[in-house]
Amino acid sequence: MKQFWTVLKFELGNYFKNKSFVLTTVLLAAILAAVIVVPTLFMGGGSDSGAEEDRTVLAVADEGGVIRDRDVFGEYLPGYELVYCKSRAEVNTMVEAEEAAAGFLVTGPDSYEYILMNRSMTTDYQAPFEEALARNYRMISLDAAGIDAEQVESIYSAPMHSETTILGKDSAQNYWYTYVLVFFLYFLIIFYGQMIAVSVTTEKSNRAIEILVTSVNSNSLIFGKVLAGAIAGIIQAGIILGSALLAYQATAEAWGHALDFLFQIPGTVWMIFIVFGILGYLLYAFLFGMMGALVSKTEDISKSSGLVTFLYLASFLISMYGLTTPDAPLIRAASYIPFTSSNAMLLRAAMGTVSALEIAVSLIILAASCVLAGMLSAAVFRFGTLHYGNPIKLTTAFKKLREK
Amino acid sequence: MKLEVKDLHKTFGDTEVLHGISFSVESGRALGLLGRNGAGKTTTIRIIMNVFKANAGTIWLDGSPFQAMGMSIGYLPEERGLYPKKKVGEQIVYLANLRGIRGGQARKNMRYWLERLGVAEYENRKLETLSKGNQQKVQLAQTLVCDPQIIILDEPFSGLDPVNSQVLKDVITEQIAQGKLVIFSSHQMGYVEEFCEDIVIINHGNIALNGNLREIKREFGKNRLVLSLVGKDAGETAGLAGQVFGELAAIEGTKKEKVILKLKEGSTKQMLLGRLAESELDVECFGSYEPSLNDIFVESAGDEA
Repeated sequence: MKQFWTVLKFELGNYFKNKSFVLTTVLLAAILAAVIVVPTLFMGGGSDSGAEEDRTVLAVADEGGVIRDRDVFGEYLPGYELVYCKSRAEVNTMVEAEEAAAGFLVTGPDSYEYILMNRSMTTDYQAPFEEALARNYRMISLDAAGIDAEQVESIYSAPMHSETTILGKDSAQNYWYTYVLVFFLYFLIIFYGQMIAVSVTTEKSNRAIEILVTSVNSNSLIFGKVLAGAIAGIIQAGIILGSALLAYQATAEAWGHALDFLFQIPGTVWMIFIVFGILGYLLYAFLFGMMGALVSKTEDISKSSGLVTFLYLASFLISMYGLTTPDAPLIRAASYIPFTSSNAMLLRAAMGTVSALEIAVSLIILAASCVLAGMLSAAVFRFGTLHYGNPIKLTTAFKKLREK
Repeated sequence: MKLEVKDLHKTFGDTEVLHGISFSVESGRALGLLGRNGAGKTTTIRIIMNVFKANAGTIWLDGSPFQAMGMSIGYLPEERGLYPKKKVGEQIVYLANLRGIRGGQARKNMRYWLERLGVAEYENRKLETLSKGNQQKVQLAQTLVCDPQIIILDEPFSGLDPVNSQVLKDVITEQIAQGKLVIFSSHQMGYVEEFCEDIVIINHGNIALNGNLREIKREFGKNRLVLSLVGKDAGETAGLAGQVFGELAAIEGTKKEKVILKLKEGSTKQMLLGRLAESELDVECFGSYEPSLNDIFVESAGDEA
């Protein structure tokens, strides 16, 4: 155990004394915090006054007096400020001077002319104006027929009041942060997995391994190395994610809580993410470490670790599918398979339905797989230790281990 | 302390590379493990260090099964290597910690050995910035940093210049004098002859010769005499010797201008000396033949190319 702590301390030192590691952590944390904080500096004052100022001006000429009630007509177009002009010429002048976004010449109860400077793909003032004019037309027609237009209108457009009670999970709300967490785990595993494989292979390539395996128990050595990589990764990820969370907490008001869909993550989802994320990460870390032990040169690592990368990629793709169908049978099954459960259980906990028992069973399977992967990785590491030269095939390594 | 290796067998694939290696060594003595390239020296050492498992055979320390792990062993492997990108002092302390020497003592030992080997100024330099010779000294420092009771050095002199070889030689002599048990393999017969009281010559995975070096030399020199004549080369001396006492001794070989003779059954050195005195030969040198370790090695392990 003492040896394990010695290896862990030394390997952690390798990460934390590495200038590029420290610099990357600080830079990424600072950039992410800046991305959240800086926009708030340009957001200006309160949103209410802003809304008043931002209303789009439309120039309207109603020479024939078709509009029944100008105040009521204005209410039909809530986002707009209507400026009434006396003539077409006045409308044209306002539009040309860009004092109005567009102009409308009402030529009859059911006809109008749309005047604008340039037509773009996105701006459309015609549809809301036409809707308002149609309502005006209905009112005039009802008046003419001797029917109480106000009453008909209030019946016709009575607003429906609703409240939503979600008994399960609000997938629409949870989608984005789940997506971000799955992606985060993906980068963590792929990036650190490679780094762990490199740290194992490096000792073979610099031939320090023979001194190490005669001084340390190979379990202490591989567990120390892999856990050091895992801890370094978790600390780095924690700092980066933490800086983003803190930055948003400080600026949530300024954002008008617009990013709550990303940062308001429930405690239980955090728990599942942290526990399953760490265990899943450890499982893959051991597999990457094992692959590192099979080769002697760092340039061979990508070839050797391809299988593990592919396995995780499959887990990632399954979880991408599960983001829209968190309760699909595939995701349910994947939440028990250790290679995919870190992602799948997160999806189910965040967006679907899952019982505490299911979580516990999946957790036990994942934790047991981690221990097994650690032991297997130590055995392969010990076997691969002094095999220099060509990369060893995984099947050959397993065969040799069985022979022993 | 007495380390005994008994009947080690090792197979790689279908090839048996060790066919029953046995020897023993005690504290305060050094054992020289000799053999040609590929003879099985490094494999034997790796089995002792538990890098490989033997297919058969046992290793004992003072009558108990020997476990390399957890023992205070200083091991310098043939495949040298440390962390090129780490500071010299830092990695030696790390290896000392792994072998059970804690914090302050590890640093103290590290400084002692760097000082002793003349590389103290490199303590805070990265290993890769040192010359090859100095890197070798750092390797030796890591071997000895845990003040081991057993020291196993696989080809310690390879790649060292004469000055560094002398430093290493002094250190090994010191360690033997301190009562350490030393095993080392080497091709440099001169060094083996200097330190080792015992030698083992391995040839094709078999023990070709094993025992006390002085006794081996005596045994190899037994019934053998050496003769040289003033002004004669070895060929002429051999011819004259054949004429004067051909029935008493056979010409076994030559070494520079000297002829090595082997007494025939029933003959003695005195009989030969008498014959020489009676002859008119101008004797330059006559005496018992003491073979060098090199001669013994070539004779034991130089069977075929």
